[in-house]
Amino acid sequence: MNLLKMGVSSSWLDYLRPPQNISTTAHLIDDLFNYTTLMVTIYFILVCIGLFGFSYLYSRKRHKTPYYTYGNKKQHLIFTAFIGAAVFLSIDLNITRIANNDLMNSFWKFPDHKTEKVLRVEVMAQQWLWSFRYTGPDGEFGTSDDIVTNNDLRVPTNTKILFHLTAKDVIHSFFVPNVRLKVDTIPGRITRVWWEVNKPGTYDIACAEMCGTNHYLMKARLTVYTEEEFNKWLSGSTLLAANTNDPSDENLAWGWKWED
Amino acid sequence: MSGGYNEIHPEPTTFWSKYILSFDHKVIAKQFLWYGIFFLGVGGLMAILIRWTLANPGIPFPVLGNLLFPASGGVVPPDTYSMLFTMHGTIMIFYAITPILIGAFGNYCIPLMIGARDMAFPLLNMLSFWFAFLSGAVLLISFFVPLGAADGGWTSYPTLSTLIGSPGMGQTLWCVAIFLFGVSSTMGAVNYVTTVITLRAPGMGYFDMPLTIWGLWLTAILNAIFVPVLGAGVILLILDRVMGTTFFLAGASATSGSGDPVLFQHVFWIFGHPEVYILILPAWGIVSDLLSFFSRKPAFGAKATALSMTAVTVLSTLVYGHHMFTTQMSPLLTQSFMTLTMTISIPSAIFFANWLGTIWRGSIRFDSPMLFSLGVVFVFGLGGLTGLHLGTVTTDLYLHDTYFVVGHFHYTMAASVLLGGFAGIYFWFPKMFGRMMNETMAKIHFWGTMIPLNGIFFGMLIVGYGGMHRRIYNPFVYESLQRLIPVNNIITTSALLMGAFQLVFLYNFIASLLRGPKAESNPWQVGTLEWTIPSPPPHHNYDVIPVVKCGPHELGNPNLKTGRDFQYQTEELVEA
Amino acid sequence: MSLKRSELQINLATNIVIISVSMLFATLFMGYAIYRTSATVWPPMGISRISLVLPSLSTVVLFISSFFCYRVSKNIRKVNFPNAHRNLNLTIVFGVGFLILQGLLWNQMKNTGIYVSSGIFASLNYAFTWIHFAHMVAGLVGLIYLKRVLKPETINLQTKTKSVENFWYFLEIVWIIMFVTLFVF
Ligand code: HEA
Ligand code: HEA
Ligand code: CUA
Ligand SMILES: [Cu+2]
Repeated sequence: MNLLKMGVSSSWLDYLRPPQNISTTAHLIDDLFNYTTLMVTIYFILVCIGLFGFSYLYSRKRHKTPYYTYGNKKQHLIFTAFIGAAVFLSIDLNITRIANNDLMNSFWKFPDHKTEKVLRVEVMAQQWLWSFRYTGPDGEFGTSDDIVTNNDLRVPTNTKILFHLTAKDVIHSFFVPNVRLKVDTIPGRITRVWWEVNKPGTYDIACAEMCGTNHYLMKARLTVYTEEEFNKWLSGSTLLAANTNDPSDENLAWGWKWED
Repeated sequence: MSGGYNEIHPEPTTFWSKYILSFDHKVIAKQFLWYGIFFLGVGGLMAILIRWTLANPGIPFPVLGNLLFPASGGVVPPDTYSMLFTMHGTIMIFYAITPILIGAFGNYCIPLMIGARDMAFPLLNMLSFWFAFLSGAVLLISFFVPLGAADGGWTSYPTLSTLIGSPGMGQTLWCVAIFLFGVSSTMGAVNYVTTVITLRAPGMGYFDMPLTIWGLWLTAILNAIFVPVLGAGVILLILDRVMGTTFFLAGASATSGSGDPVLFQHVFWIFGHPEVYILILPAWGIVSDLLSFFSRKPAFGAKATALSMTAVTVLSTLVYGHHMFTTQMSPLLTQSFMTLTMTISIPSAIFFANWLGTIWRGSIRFDSPMLFSLGVVFVFGLGGLTGLHLGTVTTDLYLHDTYFVVGHFHYTMAASVLLGGFAGIYFWFPKMFGRMMNETMAKIHFWGTMIPLNGIFFGMLIVGYGGMHRRIYNPFVYESLQRLIPVNNIITTSALLMGAFQLVFLYNFIASLLRGPKAESNPWQVGTLEWTIPSPPPHHNYDVIPVVKCGPHELGNPNLKTGRDFQYQTEELVEA
Repeated sequence: MSLKRSELQINLATNIVIISVSMLFATLFMGYAIYRTSATVWPPMGISRISLVLPSLSTVVLFISSFFCYRVSKNIRKVNFPNAHRNLNLTIVFGVGFLILQGLLWNQMKNTGIYVSSGIFASLNYAFTWIHFAHMVAGLVGLIYLKRVLKPETINLQTKTKSVENFWYFLEIVWIIMFVTLFVF
């Protein structure tokens, strides 16, 4: 029956691709990944040339008498030192620098909802459910007009979305493959992540940290709307708020005062 | 420069004192070897079950299935799957690789290669094995307690590993087993470090030691320092589970006073990262030696290799945070750990270059130990270089806890360390058991391992980059992952193949043991001390303690008049 | 089977063991530091400090014990075995005294409503004292071993004494750090 499933994908190249990029920052991660892969491949090719080349040239058949050296001559030391330096300068320094810039200029630059347009969402993870909380009209969390959804996150395009996350029981991890970002949700502390998406559609949200038997089932749906669609949904669901935000239901009675 | 008395102990006479409670490092080494191979089989079997489940969700496992999981009609149930990968990881790291690489080779090679008659503390040595044995027993028992074995991953992060996440007895037994294992490792480490420092044959300076000994020695040092850290961690975890303390409890489910689940992650990785080098340092050492022996020329830049291995050992204590980027440590910590992680690639690259320098212009014999060593160079290149993708924070935010990580560490451990171990087994088997292994079967085993192995582990890198995360029973509940089904099938097929070829090894091992051709004292024609004495060596190894006059890699010297192309370490160095 | 060994070997082994054990305690203290610094009030709400009486007493007793321990090796150097035995006995007696005081301490903590399961403060105090207690027992076993081999014909007697002694001092130091961090501050 797996043979039947084989037809799923069109070209073998698809297998080498990450999931579709839907966010404004994912390309940073893809670029760094590709750059690292490129550099690493160059060095690995060098290794292979040495490994297979020497194995061919200097096999007992072709090369009777070995060259007796400790490899501690000046030029030898220079060679090894050069390799070490080359790896450090050409790979390590660059990728560290790039990663650091990306963190500073994007991933760690958390938007401020007082000065710019930001959608704030509180996330509560528990075995095995994702709950999302929007402020509702009053712009305050933990009030009765909050909008709460389970395993169903809906966001607009062209809006920075800022998440504050925590967990009720064990550690989980909020993973959106299409955005390339992942952050652990930890009992007793609040972690943060932000991103902005620009491709309407529905995508997967996964729990990436082992959290028990049904870890593999702990998935939520991400729906990306255009802004007007989103506002339509939001206004519609404010009516819903009353019953989705039912304090007597312990899955829904949560949420905390938002502090930046 | 023997800093310790080194006299002959009485030869044991009874079966019991000879094979069971033996003080002889050679016997203890063999005990560890069997122990390790057994668990390699168990862990491997689990790997096969894991792979089967991932490629054929909901399809009964052939033959064994109905035996193992009658309740579900032969299908691996979800909770069992969690136990499978948890125990697979634990067993492979602590009960298969550690006993073979450190327990077996450490015990066997250290005294023989430095010209000693035994370890410094034979009694401690024996206890070390029996603690490991006890630990293994506890681990196996944990499968049969109600609710089954531990299932929180080999990292067993709280709060999942506290009563909140795993009420069963299994997790507690897991902690106990790991603690006992830690005691065993520490005992071994005390012994190894002391032995290397005090019992080196007269004339043997540190740089006259084979690089194998360097690797094992550095490993022992790391063990002595960092295993107790894990010890403390699991003690606290046990207290949380049994006594009701709240070290790692926090949040809504924590009834009383707030602990901190992340603290355990720090403790675990302060140990855990050095641990991965604990595993690979012996393999690096073995490979560095074998490459030289079978290229018939001295190890290229041996001193530099030894020093860069030391550098890695030192650095390995400073980078553990790279396992915790997604927990959002303070930015400063995050940046420092990223930078430090990167620096490790410098020493690594240096001895990598030395490895290539060693085979450069050699006269290479492709005997099985050499094939496996060359294999290690290949797979460790891949494993090490993929470490760089993970080392940079931003890419790790995507790759963390995906199969890319799984691919990375299988390339480094399940490939590099495993192949290094096989290389060692094929190389020292004649000395250990006085018989030769079958070379053709060895070569079949090599290619039958090497090719599928890359199918498995490169496949993992691919599905990982494709977005498939770890520790999931059925990946295909995610629509977005269904496109990866074919790759997963390739991985699984390769895994089955690789497993099958391991049986060739098992057969070869046992058959050669029983009726392999007798091995002469020095079948590989190399000069380190253990090859100066008969195979298998007499109970007290050396009738007279050898005096070392030259380094371990004296091969291919053109001015040799002895008719050999190598000289023993006991011979005066012939100037080139 | 008794093996002749060099002093170097015994000293090395002892030092490595001490390093290992100190890593274990170092980890615990790291944890303590983190809990302590992340807590807003210490001890946490509704929990009273532990009175310093018993801990201080334990410190004194352990100190006396170590003092006699120090005398033992001096006597041995002076080959004065009767005194050595006397001082070793006193070392052991005071060591045991320390253990008893620990028992009383736990008892007192229970009576003042500090149960093992009543939050992180209690967890830390119990865990530290328990783990230290276990090592003290190990140390005592060492002392008793010393008592058995404490005769002129024993090989490496001085080195063996030094090893046990150093381990005993080490535990004393750990206790003093515990006393200051856990109980005083
Ligand atoms: C033996 C085991 C081993 C080894 C050696 C390594 C080596 C390295 N590892 Fe790995 N690692 C693991 C075992 C190992 N690892 C395990 C078990 C895990 C996961 C645990 C878990 O989560 O379950 C892990 C996870 C892991 C992570 C965390 C990923 C995550 O969970 O998000 C990271 C991140 O930085 C990392 C990085 C590295 C790096 C930078 C190295 C470096 O040491 C690599 C250095 C080597 C090189 C850089 C190659 C050098 C060679 C060249 C450059 C070629 C030279 C060129 C010529 C000669 C021409 N590893
Ligand atoms: C050195 C350690 C090591 C080794 C050798 C292996 C070997 C293998 N591993 Fe494993 N693996 C880990 C360490 C290792 N692994 C760790 C640490 C984890 C993480 C666990 C966690 O997430 O907590 C992991 C997780 C892990 C996963 C991820 C599970 C998940 O996240 O859901 C997978 C999935 O494919 C996998 C597969 C394999 C395969 C196919 C092999 C193959 O290479 C196996 C091939 C070997 C054999 C088939 C057995 C050999 C047979 C004999 C020697 C003869 C038989 C002998 C007797 C019967 C006595 N491993
Ligand atoms: Cu929640 Cu995994
Ligand atoms: Cu690491």
